[in-house]
Amino acid sequence: MNHEPEKPTPASIVSEALSRGQNALSEFEAKRLLATYGVPVTREQLAHDAGQAVAIARQMGGPVALKACGAGVLHKTEAGLVRLNLATDAQVAKAHEELVAATGSRLDGILVQEMVAGFREVVAGMVRDAQFGPCVMLGYGGVFTEALDDAVMRMAPVNETDVAQMIEELRCKAIFGPWRGQAPAEITALTAVLTGLSRIGLEEGHVAEIDVNPLIITASGSIVAVDALVVLQKGN
Amino acid sequence: MPWWCCRKEINVTGIQTHPLYRLANPGSIVFFGGSNNIGAMGTNILMSLLAMGFEGQVFPVHPKEKIVQGLTAYTSVLDLPITPDLAVMVLPTVLVNPTLEHCGQKGIRNAVVVSGGFKEVGGQGPVLEKQMVEICRRHGITLIGPNCLGVANPHHKLNTTFLPFEGKPGFIGMASQSGSFLTQMFNTMARHHIGFSTAFSVGNSACIDIVDCLDYLGSCPHTKVITLYIEGLVRGRAFVETARAIARQKPIVAIYVGGSATGRKAGSSHTGAMAGPDRLYDGIFRQAGIIRVQSITELLDFAWVLGSLPAPRGRGVVIQTHSGGPGAVAADAVGRAGLELPDLSAKTLEALKPFVPHTGSVANPVDLTFSKNPLDFFDPIPKVLLEDENTAMLMVYFLTPLPVIRRALAMMGVAADRIESEADQMVTQQAQAFGRVFEQAGKPVVGYNWRSTEERFSQVLMESGVPLFGDPQRAARALGALVRYHQWRG
Repeated sequence: MNHEPEKPTPASIVSEALSRGQNALSEFEAKRLLATYGVPVTREQLAHDAGQAVAIARQMGGPVALKACGAGVLHKTEAGLVRLNLATDAQVAKAHEELVAATGSRLDGILVQEMVAGFREVVAGMVRDAQFGPCVMLGYGGVFTEALDDAVMRMAPVNETDVAQMIEELRCKAIFGPWRGQAPAEITALTAVLTGLSRIGLEEGHVAEIDVNPLIITASGSIVAVDALVVLQKGN
Repeated sequence: MPWWCCRKEINVTGIQTHPLYRLANPGSIVFFGGSNNIGAMGTNILMSLLAMGFEGQVFPVHPKEKIVQGLTAYTSVLDLPITPDLAVMVLPTVLVNPTLEHCGQKGIRNAVVVSGGFKEVGGQGPVLEKQMVEICRRHGITLIGPNCLGVANPHHKLNTTFLPFEGKPGFIGMASQSGSFLTQMFNTMARHHIGFSTAFSVGNSACIDIVDCLDYLGSCPHTKVITLYIEGLVRGRAFVETARAIARQKPIVAIYVGGSATGRKAGSSHTGAMAGPDRLYDGIFRQAGIIRVQSITELLDFAWVLGSLPAPRGRGVVIQTHSGGPGAVAADAVGRAGLELPDLSAKTLEALKPFVPHTGSVANPVDLTFSKNPLDFFDPIPKVLLEDENTAMLMVYFLTPLPVIRRALAMMGVAADRIESEADQMVTQQAQAFGRVFEQAGKPVVGYNWRSTEERFSQVLMESGVPLFGDPQRAARALGALVRYHQWRG
């Protein structure tokens, strides 16, 4: 069983990645950065061999997802580098071998992640604008993000009122309420995501852009960042 | 109460300390680039200024002419008998900076530079503009432009734009990144009996930019609503802070027209891909409390309603019409604008009875078909509808076809040579009667029809202050903006 790494500081996550020449954080690093800013993220750990993966999965309980993890691994789903709903030791071990074979040396390891159930997927993000500085976005997420193109933006910093108005402006705003038997989204948690992204924008000059997609609204209404991309920049 | 307490006079002492006050309210002007050649841009602008009846002294400076547009001309600004408050320059590019330097030496502290050929072009342009800023810094000159049309402040009889001012001073402030939307709006605004309080064309914004002008308009007592035409902002965060501070007191309406002026690097994230300038401005306007519009027509529509009508107490619109289709279209537009069509109270229904023929409908829209007495349509029917507690706002369809009135008068045996004046008098009285109801309403009231705004009835109605729109959708959208603004302001 690998042990929890020392609680990282946001600055150390970013600066260590930059010193290794990365232009983006790995998913694992990105989630740790987000978590330090109050963004609720999936429970997950890096495994370096199949045995470790199985042990982590057992400890988490329930089905898990395995993802190839490394700064160079982008567009995991399209590249076939994600395995979902792995319920048995054998499935976990097999998925581990497949992902290692498919990616080789680009890896930091294989990310073993809790499966988060919920069909309401939104996207949250941060970009920098030359005139307005860091800005945050909230929109309809998942695989149809660009197809439906339903998103709203605000300049950082944002507050609770801003987030409430952002939801109100989305065409898909109904999914934040009670929806098909599922509980309404926890607005405080959603606010924490956007204020967290907004603070990263204001405080972490080396973070160029962030995508949290999908950010899942679970059946009970809790909010979990399931995947995240943090793009870095050298200047600033 | 002493008599002066009820004077509607405006207290302007607060704004006199604003850095832009003297530029927008100069006591005297030195004018460069005007001559007796009507083909010159400078001559046209000088003529606009003089036509407005600017009350201070105007000193044309011209290298050769002794008299320009009837005024004594000087060969150099340094020869002027006094130090004017403002310099207006419509000169060839190369002459601007040396002239500005002379103005600085003379002690002139405000300038409008209409001339182009600076940052907006390549080559030496940006260098010349930098030099211009340096001259301003050295002499403490407040400069608007270059490449702009300057200021129109009809309350001060000041107009440095190309077209002569039409109409009267009004309550609409403007800060625009296009000079056209100052000068080319004079005519339509005059026809609708609305006007600018003060309007700025910011051009290249070498010194003064749209944020400074917004700040000025925020404290300008004549300005009841601010309009902005934006192609791209440079001081983004200052803009948001300034707008946010003003919008709680005064509505701000803005049109943003695309462009990728934000200069953001294209990124590899979804967010980066989706964060285009249009979406960004949309969010930032909302954050700042700015109402975004889709067209120039809507910019003026919203400004008209937001700047002149009281805060609505609710979302309910009652529609008064005497034609079915125009009422139905208005009802549809009201729904699309996020407003409601309330039922009338029992008390109102009772009060309407004497006026409504059996063919009429007292549902909302209130369709009177033919009123028993046509004059009731203008008063008291709207008064009855306004008294209803469910009526937050009133929207009225006005059909006053002069040809019908003329032929009726002819049928009644009115002499042919008197028909025109009698018809004119009739519609004037109708419009004035409604105007009095409007004035006493205490609730937002708007009108709509598809007739010419030049018709006597429409002119009198709008002169009374009633916003009159060429389509109920425009009226409903403007009322929707009014409701949203006051809800946001709380």
